[in-house]
Amino acid sequence: MTDDRSVRDGGTLTVALNSDPDKLDPTLAQTLVGRTVFASMCEKLYDIDEDGTVVPQLAASLPVTSADGRTVTIQVRPGAEFSDGTKLDADAVVTSLLRHRDLPGSARGTELAPVSKAEATGPLTVRLTLDHSYVPLTGVLADRAGMVMSPTALEKYGKDFTNHPSCVGPFRFVERVGGDRIVLRKDPNYYDADRVHLDGVIYKPIPDGNVRLANLRSGDLQVGDQMAPVDVRSALTEPKLQLFNSPSLGYQGIGLNVGNVKGLGQKPGKIDTPIARDVRVREAFELAIDRDLLNTVVFQGMYEPACGPISPQSAIAPGVKPEDCPRRDVGRAKKLLKEAGVQTPVKIELKTSTTPEQGRVGQVLQAMVKEAGFELSLRPTEYATMLAETDAGDYDVFTSGWSGRLDPDGNVSNFLKTAGAMNAYGLGDPEIDKLIAEGRSVADPARRTGIYDELTRRVQDAHALIYLYRQKNYVVAGKDVAGIRVYGDGLVRVKNAGYTR
Amino acid sequence: MTKYLLTRLRQSLITLFLVSIVVFAGIRALPGDPALALAGEERSPEALAAVRESYGLNDNVVIQYGRFIGHALTGDLGTSSRTGLPVADAIAQALPVTLELAALSLLLAIVVGIGAGVVAAVRRGRPEEWLANAIALIGLSIPTFWLGIVLVLGFAIAVPVFAASGYVPFGTDPIDNLRRMVLPAIVLGSGLAAVVMRQTRAAMLDSLSADYVRTARAKGLSRGSVIGGHALRNSLVTVVTVLGLQLGHLISGAVVTEQIFVLPGFGKLTIDAVFTRDYATLQAVVLCTSAAYILINLLVDVVYSVIDPRIRLGGAR
Repeated sequence: MTDDRSVRDGGTLTVALNSDPDKLDPTLAQTLVGRTVFASMCEKLYDIDEDGTVVPQLAASLPVTSADGRTVTIQVRPGAEFSDGTKLDADAVVTSLLRHRDLPGSARGTELAPVSKAEATGPLTVRLTLDHSYVPLTGVLADRAGMVMSPTALEKYGKDFTNHPSCVGPFRFVERVGGDRIVLRKDPNYYDADRVHLDGVIYKPIPDGNVRLANLRSGDLQVGDQMAPVDVRSALTEPKLQLFNSPSLGYQGIGLNVGNVKGLGQKPGKIDTPIARDVRVREAFELAIDRDLLNTVVFQGMYEPACGPISPQSAIAPGVKPEDCPRRDVGRAKKLLKEAGVQTPVKIELKTSTTPEQGRVGQVLQAMVKEAGFELSLRPTEYATMLAETDAGDYDVFTSGWSGRLDPDGNVSNFLKTAGAMNAYGLGDPEIDKLIAEGRSVADPARRTGIYDELTRRVQDAHALIYLYRQKNYVVAGKDVAGIRVYGDGLVRVKNAGYTR
Repeated sequence: MTKYLLTRLRQSLITLFLVSIVVFAGIRALPGDPALALAGEERSPEALAAVRESYGLNDNVVIQYGRFIGHALTGDLGTSSRTGLPVADAIAQALPVTLELAALSLLLAIVVGIGAGVVAAVRRGRPEEWLANAIALIGLSIPTFWLGIVLVLGFAIAVPVFAASGYVPFGTDPIDNLRRMVLPAIVLGSGLAAVVMRQTRAAMLDSLSADYVRTARAKGLSRGSVIGGHALRNSLVTVVTVLGLQLGHLISGAVVTEQIFVLPGFGKLTIDAVFTRDYATLQAVVLCTSAAYILINLLVDVVYSVIDPRIRLGGAR
């Protein structure tokens, strides 16, 4: 969603984030809020536009891939400078890509693993050699793995780059006070500085929705990122505030433990519970759920019901539309439980995080599945503990979500592949593995769509990860601020923002 | 007095050492892997392993403790696993905020609490006492979070006299600093003011009926002198004890207030550190808070002797 009213030059924008970002180092960073800060100071080789289409950013054009898919050539934007005044060139891109791939602790290592070689073949030309055809690469380079860091700053600060980040971007890093603020100032070296209106941006972590809203109302904050539906409803009663939103590329659902006995990355084993043993019990569980009602009751109808890993917003492989999701059918659910021969009520424990919204999701599910013959008990568990327990396989069902990636592969492979890095469900299906591999190597968008449609059906049939809804990115801003952009990747872009005249 | 102080200092250091062990063990007993908490939704096994390695989380707990204490003694409190910033810097930034908040709240509690307590005692059985008691009861009963939000709605949004959030150092802009600190100080100090009022009232009632006050009155001293110079001065011993105990609570109670007003103090630092299992920050924050508690107790004992000469500390014998 965009806002194109004309703005005046000058002023500082204060943006509230719902948590404190982690390291301001594109190689090591792992949080969504961190990506929002990077959007202002670390541009990427590629970006997405309003329609979710990949467009060049620090690259001069879209990448050129060889016929066998194993060589990718990238032209680098001429005339761009890092915030430290050094030049952006092919060498800098190569240095960054190799650091992303090789630095111990890199969160980008897996995404860039297929890149076997990166070299500068000209001052502004980069050639990547891949182990195998890897279609998601462009999508990956439109995220943090495509951020280019100043080689001079990397050499000067080494591990401490996180405290002195220097990239190409509309704003440059000034200071960070942990837990309080990250201050950025307009970068005069930026190639598109003429279109940057603000003098600076301040990012403030404010986890509590009430507090964020109070600050938006008082004018201490101009932008609130990732607002919850209940706060958005409340904000809309305020004439001084306006709303931006975009659908997200991620999903929220519940994960069922069907074979995670030894922890992540291990081969699935056998679990002796009714939901793990018999797919009919899981199907009955899913049939007992009404996604529309869940969305209405918990989220005031402001999110989208969902039943597959890929968002219909995805430009590459459109997923299942909300209206095509399976409908609630308690009669059939009961019948399936009877066929499975399980003793009712089937007792299941659901681990949820401790947020009020997730608590309500749990309560609504509890009431729905009860009618079909399930006794769902809720165990609110603090986030870090829940991750540790669910990764280890110590659970029946848990609330599982993902903020989403541009390329469909980023929303399926780690979660659904046998022994995948985030397959906490213990799902192991050779057919799914085959479809994931095909989806990564086939370049033709139409064929990819077919592959992901089949994959979605297969995943739906396994009922190991029941997709329930997709969040929308809601951003509340003061009406005197214009030029903010909110796209499907969930980031708030303030490059062209400013105060109205 | 010196001997007493030295003994108390030695005891304090031993306490601090024991606290460091309890804190260290307690934090590690929390469920949830710090590497996982850090990685959040994106957790590749390689990245997790590298995080554990770089923060020494694979080592034996005893080795980790030894390293922590060794570094702490040289003033190195480690690096935050979440932000990569030095913990000492984070503490240096957070400490003035919390201390200022605690000091302002304390000031408010002393002025309002002692004032109302004296009035309630002196005007016993009159409307002033009822009013003071009612205010104290309200101050004790209102949840901090609710009071904070109501004050923000009233005095930062409806009538924008104060700011709803944020911190500006006093040295940078004193007016803006106070504009941001008054509401948090009221929220944090209201409970303490109520406690102080009740203590002052009770102690004053005792004092006012004591023989020495009767003697002072009989000697023809002015009303102000009797109340201020005799009754209040003796009542303050109890009040100082309560204040001392409560000052520790002020620092730890700042957690909620700092969340409401987005103040980058100790409370906020602690909460963030707990949720991200940021061991280095959490250890340092809890240790510093413990040290503050111990120091405050020590100071309270010293202040006793200044207010009431009847209390002779160790060296008198």
